[in-house]
Amino acid sequence: MAAVTRTGKAIGQPMQRVDGIAKVTGRARYAGDFDLPGMIFGRCLRSPYPRARIVSIDTRRAKALPGVHAVLTGADVADVRYGRLCRDVPILAKDIALFVGDKVAAVAADSVEIAEAALERIAVEYEELPPVLSAEEAMRPGAPVIHPEPVALMPGAIAGGHGELRMYPPIPNVISQLTLRHGDVAGALAGASKVFEHVFTVPPVHQGYIEPHSCLVSIGADGLVDVWVANKGPHIARAHMAATIGVPEDRLRFNPVTIGGDFGGKGSLMDTLLCYYLARAARRPVKMVMTSFEELTAANPRHTANIRLRTGLDRDAKIVAIDARIVFDAGAYAGFIPGPTLHGYSELAGTYRVPNCAIEVLRVYTNTVPRGHMRSPGSPQVAFAVESHIDMIARALGLDPVEMRRRNAIADGDPTPLGDRRRHLRCRETIDAGARAFGWDAPKAPGIGRGISIYEHPAGTFGRSTVTLTVGADGRITVMVGAPDTGTGFHTIAAQLVAEHFGLSPDAVAVVQGDTLTSDFEAGSSGMRVTTTVGQAIAAAADKAKQALAALAAERLNCAPSDVRMGEGGSFAASGTTIDLPALMGWAAERGKAPVTCKGENTPNQPSDQTSFAAHFAEVAVDRETGQVRLRRLVTAHDVGTIINPITHQGQIEGGLIQAVGQAMSEQVVLKEGAVITAHLGDYKLPTIMDIPALETVLLPGGNGSGPFATTAIGEMSNVAVPAAITNAVFDAVGVRLVELPIRAEKVLEGLGERTRAG
Amino acid sequence: MRTLRLTVNGAPVVREVADHRLLVDFLREDLKLTGTKEGCGIGVCGACTVLLDGKPISSCLALAVHADGGQVTTIEGVAAGDRLHPLQEAFLAHGGYQCGICTPGQILAAKALLDANPRPTKADIQYWMMGNLCRCTGYYKIIESIAAAAGVE
Repeated sequence: MAAVTRTGKAIGQPMQRVDGIAKVTGRARYAGDFDLPGMIFGRCLRSPYPRARIVSIDTRRAKALPGVHAVLTGADVADVRYGRLCRDVPILAKDIALFVGDKVAAVAADSVEIAEAALERIAVEYEELPPVLSAEEAMRPGAPVIHPEPVALMPGAIAGGHGELRMYPPIPNVISQLTLRHGDVAGALAGASKVFEHVFTVPPVHQGYIEPHSCLVSIGADGLVDVWVANKGPHIARAHMAATIGVPEDRLRFNPVTIGGDFGGKGSLMDTLLCYYLARAARRPVKMVMTSFEELTAANPRHTANIRLRTGLDRDAKIVAIDARIVFDAGAYAGFIPGPTLHGYSELAGTYRVPNCAIEVLRVYTNTVPRGHMRSPGSPQVAFAVESHIDMIARALGLDPVEMRRRNAIADGDPTPLGDRRRHLRCRETIDAGARAFGWDAPKAPGIGRGISIYEHPAGTFGRSTVTLTVGADGRITVMVGAPDTGTGFHTIAAQLVAEHFGLSPDAVAVVQGDTLTSDFEAGSSGMRVTTTVGQAIAAAADKAKQALAALAAERLNCAPSDVRMGEGGSFAASGTTIDLPALMGWAAERGKAPVTCKGENTPNQPSDQTSFAAHFAEVAVDRETGQVRLRRLVTAHDVGTIINPITHQGQIEGGLIQAVGQAMSEQVVLKEGAVITAHLGDYKLPTIMDIPALETVLLPGGNGSGPFATTAIGEMSNVAVPAAITNAVFDAVGVRLVELPIRAEKVLEGLGERTRAG
Repeated sequence: MRTLRLTVNGAPVVREVADHRLLVDFLREDLKLTGTKEGCGIGVCGACTVLLDGKPISSCLALAVHADGGQVTTIEGVAAGDRLHPLQEAFLAHGGYQCGICTPGQILAAKALLDANPRPTKADIQYWMMGNLCRCTGYYKIIESIAAAAGVE
């Protein structure tokens, strides 16, 4: 049954964000804004070679520089490896450096300037080794093995999902090999009326958060280690830090900080462990802030992907089978992501009825910048391939691209390509609503092209969320969460949900982010989970608190708890008498019964048949003389459930779209001989305010929401499939097919030339 | 080293600074005004925008001595005590920020725009604000916020 979209007293309201005033006045404190007495500054020296043996490091001249408090090399730090799943990242490279940017030495000094001067005084002798620069090269028999050492895995973290997962299979440099099968692909392809095969390449892009990775570590005389770090999941980060350096979790305090953008990129500890060893060696608090140059060249951008798709169709252009091979280039270290591979394979035609499906996903080491997570890990790559491929098939069959998608759209009763069952599937409705608003069938001028792409994804339900809800003596409610708001509005959503449960105005609710000693476990903002999982935890805590308050009210009103009814504005009533929350809690406080504190927890990985859809439409103008593509307008249609905050919801849509516009039109981490050459924001082109197209958003309320009050997820829906709508529009305009992102005028012009010569 | 005399957010400041001290470091580290953020460090992202004598500048490219004798406004000086500036109110009401890291720079750049051109068109806003990157919002709500603060549609 379709959930009813509802607007309550607190949910559905365009509430001003709880972190708003701090952010518009400059009072919000990010990791790099903290300052401690005696604090010094850490910087690190990085390898200039993609693969090189470290023959020797001479740090004597650096140590002699006044103002230098510590100089470390791989020999000075514990021989441990960090990783969110695969523990392969050293604190500092020891013996061998594996990418241009690998950290080989570090300095802590009175100022950043002195630290940088000291780095220049460190002499490293390298012996260059032949690097492996592409995933295909890496998998060839006899290729140099990048990690010959055995790689340990963090316990309990492998989520295979469907299919068969092999970690470190006997293929050179392969981290993981996942094979998934549903139905009989070989048989279906053999019996297909037509079979199409295409190959796509998606280069890495950077998450593009404006706040670089920053951390500050202070080791107290009592052994308590205080950490301020730009990390979206402090509890998990703490567990990983404890496991790596051997300090118990209760001696590590990750303090609350504001996060200056995440987009998937701030889930790792990055420099925090090195910062800890510097602080230990220097006996001073140490701050490390990556430069923008380091961010772009040596952090953890999106995985490069090469994707081959083979699809069979019957006579009615209906898909009978898809066979896919996805190769993700992970760069030099696997430890920056929490899973064995990227879940993007699940985007393989989740929007379509695919009765037979086979997918092989390989994640491979190369001597390039290590890759990490970014907004729906793996999905934009796969969605670009699928949504281009479907378009190419439609064009080859002479079918309208919208009609092709409508014909194959998954609907109630169809299993997903991997055999899951979902319901209330509104794929076709979402396409139709978007196409109508866009004017898909309206006439257009020469040089103008229109494209579509579609996407499907359920809300995340994985990972534990725990909240502590406190009803104070003044009747106000505080909810403590264990993770920062990365910018999405998560803390505001939490306030609105608490308020809704008690019938209060959100103003009566405070959201506090606890440190890792005072707050309970929270897995953090990722995979479109946090509204759902924190919402479940809040609901559980609110239920308990309401029972406790009803018991208090019964005592106060001299009746049985079962006679107490909760009314508006957090009031309680029984047999004609009403008491409001402040009065009740004041009465309770006098008897030592306030505050009322309750914890709530979610149930992770609950099976859900929920999902939702998005359809994106792009219109471009292509200049035939120059190949220049101008994005004129976008229409984005979303299958949504209850919207808790229309401002933050729309903010996720608009921000996600423009990130996708960047990936389509201008962004690429360019690698040359293994080194990132788009090393500053002048060369790495993020979209500016001048680059945004006219935009129309279409919302289809009434979606099947599994979140609290029937919400659906939004954060990745607006982002993932958009680039293909734009490249499909380029094809529509001038007949040039782009199978690699981003769109560059040179490629379009080259394609136009080929068409002219062929014609 | 030299003695720097300037006005920051309306208050006189006298400090010894090194000749090569960057304005952003002077503000953040010496004056502890951490509302000014450093993003790219090369004058592209606009996160470090402050006003010098009313004009927006990238404080990551300016030397502190460049501000000698001048009036510097940072995000900490935009509100009048507890009374927010109309731009701050508009960014709050219209969701012109998310993570907030670029917001101080956005608000200061926008303040300079409205001080120079109180009734900008949408095109004026876009042209003026192109030096301030935002990764979260996709810019639509920043334009809305500035237009609302100016009282234009």
